[in-house]
Amino acid sequence: MMKKAIFPILILILSLVIALGSQTFLSPCVHEDGSFGSCHWAGRAMLGVGILLAALALLSWARKDAYLAVMPAALLGCFIPGTLISLCKMSAMRCRSVMQPAMILLCAVIAMLALIGYAVNRKSNK
Amino acid sequence: MILRAENISKRYFRRTGQANYFEAVKPLSLALEPGSLTLLMGRSGGGKTTLLHMLSGLLTPTEGKVWLGDTDLYALPDAQLSRLRGEQIGVVPQGRSAVDTLTVLENVLLPGQLCGRPAKQETALYWLEALEIGNLADARPAALSGGELRRMAIARVLTQDPQVILADEPTGDLDDASTRLVLSILQKAAHEQGKTVFVVTHENDAREYADRVYRMDGGSLS
Amino acid sequence: MNAFSLAIKNLIRKPGRTAALTLLTAFLALSVFGGSLVVSSLQRGLHSLESRLGADIIVLPASAQSKVSFEKLLLQGTTGAFYMDASALDAVREVEGVEIAAPQTFLASLKADCCAVKVQVIGMDQETDFVVQPWIAQSYSRSLGDMDVAVGCKVEADVGETLRIYDENCHVVARLAPTGTGLDTAVYCNMDTMNHLLAAAEQKGVSHKITSDSEETISAVYVKVKDGYDIDQVNSKLNGHVRKATAVRTRSMLTQVSDSLAGVSRTVSLLIAAVWVLALIILLIAFAMMAAERRREFAVLRLVGTSRRGLCRLVLTESALCSLAGGLIGIGAAAAVVFPFTTLIETQLGLPYLTPDARTMLLLGALALGVTVLVGALASAWAALRLSRTDPGATLREGA
Repeated sequence: MMKKAIFPILILILSLVIALGSQTFLSPCVHEDGSFGSCHWAGRAMLGVGILLAALALLSWARKDAYLAVMPAALLGCFIPGTLISLCKMSAMRCRSVMQPAMILLCAVIAMLALIGYAVNRKSNK
Repeated sequence: MILRAENISKRYFRRTGQANYFEAVKPLSLALEPGSLTLLMGRSGGGKTTLLHMLSGLLTPTEGKVWLGDTDLYALPDAQLSRLRGEQIGVVPQGRSAVDTLTVLENVLLPGQLCGRPAKQETALYWLEALEIGNLADARPAALSGGELRRMAIARVLTQDPQVILADEPTGDLDDASTRLVLSILQKAAHEQGKTVFVVTHENDAREYADRVYRMDGGSLS
Repeated sequence: MNAFSLAIKNLIRKPGRTAALTLLTAFLALSVFGGSLVVSSLQRGLHSLESRLGADIIVLPASAQSKVSFEKLLLQGTTGAFYMDASALDAVREVEGVEIAAPQTFLASLKADCCAVKVQVIGMDQETDFVVQPWIAQSYSRSLGDMDVAVGCKVEADVGETLRIYDENCHVVARLAPTGTGLDTAVYCNMDTMNHLLAAAEQKGVSHKITSDSEETISAVYVKVKDGYDIDQVNSKLNGHVRKATAVRTRSMLTQVSDSLAGVSRTVSLLIAAVWVLALIILLIAFAMMAAERRREFAVLRLVGTSRRGLCRLVLTESALCSLAGGLIGIGAAAAVVFPFTTLIETQLGLPYLTPDARTMLLLGALALGVTVLVGALASAWAALRLSRTDPGATLREGA
C-alpha cells in the first residue's frame, strides 16, 4: 500500500507546488507598469502543466500506466519556460533566476519519481 | 580431536558475603574424547554455560588452559582463535542466535563462508530437512518460533562440520519428538563421524544418548 | 559471503535503518558541498572583479551619489547614470604620473523592448580603453563598429540579434565571458555609438547633460598610474586637480567587497561547522543505538568465527557504504539546488559570484565526500571498537 501510494503523493505535492508556485512565490516577473511580458504567459502555461501533472498523479495511483504519461508531461514542463515560451532578456530577472530553474528542477524530479514509481510498481506486480 | 580443559576456573567480580568475587566455575579438568557424546547436567546457575563458553573459545578462563588437540586455545591471537572457532568448534548457544538480516539458509551457510571454507548448499538443505525445517530455508529468522530457531542453530553447526560440537540446551524449546530427533542426530555425529560432542542439558531423558554424564553444581563437576 | 556482501545484505534488508543513516549523511554532504561551493564562488567572483577593475584609480563625478551608484552597478548590476564634463578627462591627463586615462560613459536605457528592467549601456573610448577591451577580446577579435554592441553574459541576447535601445537598433556582435559581477548585465559599445544613443535619449526627453553648453559628457575615467609613481599620491593629486570629480582607488573598493565576502564566508563556515558537529553527534548516538540493538547479532557473528577485526570491518563497511551513498546523494542535491539558482544567489548576496571551473568543483565534491565518509567512519569506529571488546559469551547468556 505504502509503495503504491508514496510516488503518486509525492508527484501530486510537487505538481501542486508547480501550479500554485507559478502564480505566487515562483511567479515570473512583475512589471512595474503592470504590463505583461511573455514570461507571464510562461507562468500561466506552468499553471496548466501543474494541474495536468496533479491529475496524472491521481490517475497513476489507480493505474500504474499513468506514470508513463507523467514523464512526457513533466518534460514538457521543463521546456516551457525559456525554450517554448521566451522569457525576459536579463538573467537576473525573476523569471530567469527563480521561475525557470525552479520549474525545471520540479519537473525533472517529477519525471524521475514517475520513472522510479513505474519501475517499482511493475516489479511488485510481477 | 580431543578437547581438554586443564584446571580451568572462572571468577567474576561480585560482592558476595566475605569474598569480593564469585567463582562461577571452580578449578576443574575435563577431557572430551572424539567419537563420544558427553552430557553435562545440573541446576541452573551451576556454571554449565560458563564452562561451555570457556571450552568453545568464547570466554577466557581466569586460570587454566583449554587444549584442542595440541593447540592452546587462549594462547592464540584473536584472529586465529576466531578462525579456529569457525572451522573446528561448532557452538549451539542458548537463546536466539540468528543474524536477522539473513535468511535461514544463509544463516546456516554463514560460518563456512566467513572462514573461506564454504559448505555446499545441498549439505545445508539436507540438515534443515533432517531437522524438519527444510520448508523454512528462505524465511527470515524473525518469522521463526523458538524451537525452529534452535533447530536452525543446530543445522548451522552440523553444516559447518566441525571437529567439536558444543551445544547449550539444544533441546530447550523443543517438544519430545524433536528432542529425540536432535539428540539422535548429535549421537550419530559422535558415533558415526567421530566428532567430539558436548551437550549441556537438564533433560533427564538425554542420558540414554550419552556416553558419559557429568553433573555440575555450585561450579564443581561430579 | 565475506564481510562486504554481509554488510550489503545488512543494509538492504534493514531499509529503514539504512535510509536514516544515508539521509543524515546526505544532509551533511549537502551543507558541506553547498556551503563550500558558495564560498569558493564568492572568492572567484572577487578575483574576477579584481581583474575586471584593471585600473588603479577611477575618477567619478564629485556627487556623493555617483560613487554609491558606481559600486552598485559593479556589484549588483543596477543601472547608474551620472555625468561630468568631458573636460575632466583632459584635466586627468594633465596630472603627473597618469599613464593612461580611459573615459567611459554610462546610459541607463529606458525599458528595453524586451524586459521590465533597464539595461546599463557602457560606452568606452576604443583608443584608450584598457579595461573593457581585453575582456571583449576574449570573445570578439575585432573592434566594435558603429551601432555594434557586446553584451554581458546575463543579457539574454544572442550574437546576430538586434537590441532596441531608445528606438535605435543595436547589433549584438559578441557575448562576453561571465565575470560574476554587475558588469555581466551591461551592454558595451564604442563612444560614437554612445553619443548616438545619448542623442536619441535626448529626443525621448531623457537629459544627461550637466550644462546646456557642454559638448560631450563622460561618466568615469579609468586611470592607470605610471610605473614608479605612488598610486596614493597620484590619487590625491587627481582629487586636487580635477574639478567636480572624485578619484577613488580601486583597491579601496575591492577591500570593501572582500570585507563583506569575508563576513559571508565566516557565516557559511560556521554553519558548516555546526552541521558537521551536529551530524557527528547524531551519528554517534545512532551508531551507539545500533550497536546496542545488534549486540546479539554481533555476538553470533563472533560465535561462528568472525574475529574482532572482522567485526570492526563489518561495522565500518556498513557505515562507509551508507555515508558514501549519502554523500553522493547530498552532493547531487546541493548541485541541483545551487547551480540552477546561481543567479538568484548572486542577486540575493549582492556580491560578485562566479561559479568555479570544473576542476575546482570536482575537488570540492571530493572534499565534501571525504568529510562525510570521515564523519561516518569516526562515528561508527567508536561503536565498532566497543562492540568488538564486548565478550560474546556474556552477550549470548543474556536471555533470548
